[in-house]
Amino acid sequence: MVGKTESQNGAVKATAAPAMNLESDLFSNFSFKSFKLKTKQQELLLRVSILGLVYILAFITRLFSVLRYESMIHEFDPYFNYRTTLFLTEKGFYEFWNWFDSESWYPLGRIIGGTLYPGLMVTAAFIYWTLRFLRFAVHIREVCVLTAPFFASNTTVVAYFFGKEIWDSGAGLVAAAFIAICPGYISRSVAGSYDNEGVAIFALLLTFYLFVKAVNTGSLAWALASAFGYFYMVSAWGGYVFIINLIPLYVLVLLITGRYSMRLYVAYNCMYVLGMLLAMQIRFVGFQHVQSGEHMAAMGVFFLMQVFYFLDWVKYMLSDTKLFQAFLRITVTSAIAVGALALGVGTASGYISPWTGRFYSLLDPTYAKDNIPIIASVSEHQPTAWSSFMFDFHILLFLFPAGLYFCFKKLSDATIFIVMYGLTSMYFAGVMVRLILVATPAVCLISAIAVSATIKNLTSLLRTKSKTAVAGSSKGTGGSKASSKASFDQSQPFQKNGAIALLLGAFYLLSKYATHCTWVTSEAYSSPSIVLAARGAHGNRVIFDDYREAYFWLRQNTPPDAKVMSWWDYGYQITAMGNRTVIVDNNTWNNTHIATVGRAMSSYEDEAYEIMRSLDVDYVLVVFGGVTGYSSDDINKFLWMVRIGGGVFPVIKEPDYLVNGDYRVDKGAAPKMLNCL
Amino acid sequence: MAPKAEAAQTLASQSDASQSSIDPLFHILKIFPYSIIRPPRLRLKLPSFTLPSPMTVFALVLLTYFMVVSGFVYDVIVEPPGIGSTQDPATGSVRPVVFLPGRVNGQYIIEGLSSGFMFVLGGMGFVLLDLALDKNRAKSVKVSYASAGISSIVIAYIMSMLFIRIKIPGYLR
Repeated sequence: MVGKTESQNGAVKATAAPAMNLESDLFSNFSFKSFKLKTKQQELLLRVSILGLVYILAFITRLFSVLRYESMIHEFDPYFNYRTTLFLTEKGFYEFWNWFDSESWYPLGRIIGGTLYPGLMVTAAFIYWTLRFLRFAVHIREVCVLTAPFFASNTTVVAYFFGKEIWDSGAGLVAAAFIAICPGYISRSVAGSYDNEGVAIFALLLTFYLFVKAVNTGSLAWALASAFGYFYMVSAWGGYVFIINLIPLYVLVLLITGRYSMRLYVAYNCMYVLGMLLAMQIRFVGFQHVQSGEHMAAMGVFFLMQVFYFLDWVKYMLSDTKLFQAFLRITVTSAIAVGALALGVGTASGYISPWTGRFYSLLDPTYAKDNIPIIASVSEHQPTAWSSFMFDFHILLFLFPAGLYFCFKKLSDATIFIVMYGLTSMYFAGVMVRLILVATPAVCLISAIAVSATIKNLTSLLRTKSKTAVAGSSKGTGGSKASSKASFDQSQPFQKNGAIALLLGAFYLLSKYATHCTWVTSEAYSSPSIVLAARGAHGNRVIFDDYREAYFWLRQNTPPDAKVMSWWDYGYQITAMGNRTVIVDNNTWNNTHIATVGRAMSSYEDEAYEIMRSLDVDYVLVVFGGVTGYSSDDINKFLWMVRIGGGVFPVIKEPDYLVNGDYRVDKGAAPKMLNCL
Repeated sequence: MAPKAEAAQTLASQSDASQSSIDPLFHILKIFPYSIIRPPRLRLKLPSFTLPSPMTVFALVLLTYFMVVSGFVYDVIVEPPGIGSTQDPATGSVRPVVFLPGRVNGQYIIEGLSSGFMFVLGGMGFVLLDLALDKNRAKSVKVSYASAGISSIVIAYIMSMLFIRIKIPGYLR
């Protein structure tokens, strides 16, 4: 570095000589002073500019659908979030928190204030009020559409700091770049996808970063900050159960490998106690942290930490090691016995509720297939095939085991955490496609470690060879030094060329990754499911907006108190855009109600009429895709209506609708199929 | 005579241990069954538990990674066939189909396993490359590690690209 600036100054001085003296002095002084930054400042400038570019890149790459179609909300769930955010900005927080909605789940209604995760809506409303305060006249819909890309950019910054904490700043920069364009994350945080996960992944990574920082430094401030990060995560997404189980598991692993320390004690205790108290502020979560089986692991590890602290203190007080060994055995046995007894009493008496079906099916994947058809029917809940992994991760799949190797080589508290996060999240990603999203930050971080370590090895290969050449020539030559210098000379150009070739290869791989990610984002993950595109007869692109036209028709041509019956997929969209009452919607909290609708859809018309009269239904909405070849319409979903209806009302039997075990919808279909609603 | 003396000796050593132990359960057991029943003399040792080395754990982790990434859970739940088959319309013969066509999230068992193997091979290539740049080895070993590593990475990448191109016909177009 020093040699370079000197040669630069030499060149400047040489070119400035022919010019006039005064101007040449000025010119050379100007370039001399402004370009001669110290190495540390150059490095800082480089880091900040890279982070800035990555921030902008993460935002821009998610804007494909806004540029192609228009700024609108995608999919089904985001419409509910949009409707509640609209309500929040119009009526204020107290009305929102105590809202009882009689427009969905017709005869029952829904306590919205108590059955949602408010983090996303409050965040969007907060951004909206800030922008309004600064006199930017934005519409709430624009804020909602662009919330997810904004938080994706913030996630890259957090990933940088996390990478710096685990390994070094080079790994942090690579991790930020990986996360910015990784398709696994983009799929749920594209502009318009106004869903909980967009904000939740930011909160997840922030909580983990703050906790690892707290464990590394042992400071109370960082532990409390991680508790507040956990509170944000609990308010944003139901996947907070992952955090409250991963962190105790991590603490347990540290205890088993003998890494108990005061820092760990401070970090975990503060985070658990304050995090638990804060989490109880969300009505939807309520007292689950002390009552639900899924949260018991955290409590068990909490008490185990107290036992460890107590034993440490007793060891410090006692000087007799044999006595202490006996005391240790007694205490550990009795602690485990008391803990098991308490858990048994709690579970048997029903105070501690067992694991809910959603989370139990993650541990035992065959459970949902046999017992809960609603969970099994969602396409996002299917297990993952290799091609989904390849599609969403590309070369990160190669770099992940390499990164694990580097982490195992240099074990520390922080690398143990990232290894555990990576392994558990990859297992869950294998069980359910939707959870590839949770695995993405871990995979990006570990791959970044691999890239950073490999490139550091290669560049040190380049630099040591040139350094020893300089050192060898400047120092005196002894006999052994001459021979070693000769052997170095022989291998030098070969190794240097090899290193340069490998660096070019690494650059090629990374550029292929960027190409792949951009292609996937553009083709696969940027379609708003509510506006569909297809190829016409002559190959031209036909865009049809049938969904929105239908909802708008409902809004304009039906009386305001009309009730609409449809399959639960469309419920949120009908209430948000059509502004009419629906019978069932995507919240799927009442299986019997959905089964009633399923029964109505699959019974003969006279029976269905009775059911619909009892529910006060005025209109029925059915989606049919036969004209355009749209494949996810209600006819394709019909068997699920039969299964779910049959799950509660045994009158509906699936074999009635099949012909020899085959599902047919043409003239040769089963008679019950032809005559049902 | 000799067994009686030994029994007396062991009894004496046992009483010494019992007086120094603070374990309440031990004292209860000493009174209740074992003042009547004579415990047998056994030579048992409790198994000691040592933590495995990091590289052992890494090998196990790699195996689990291979299983997850090959779509093992998908295979267990959906139970696809090992390899698919299609009937040639002209000749009527049955030909095997290795890659499940039509969707991104579906596979046959063999295609999953071979892709998973490619991913692990690529990962091992990077590991070999790092081992090759370690200073404390003989030069020939370093060169062979480096060439094995580089060839693993290149083969794994090319094969994975080939697989995904076969699976998704419109890839990168």
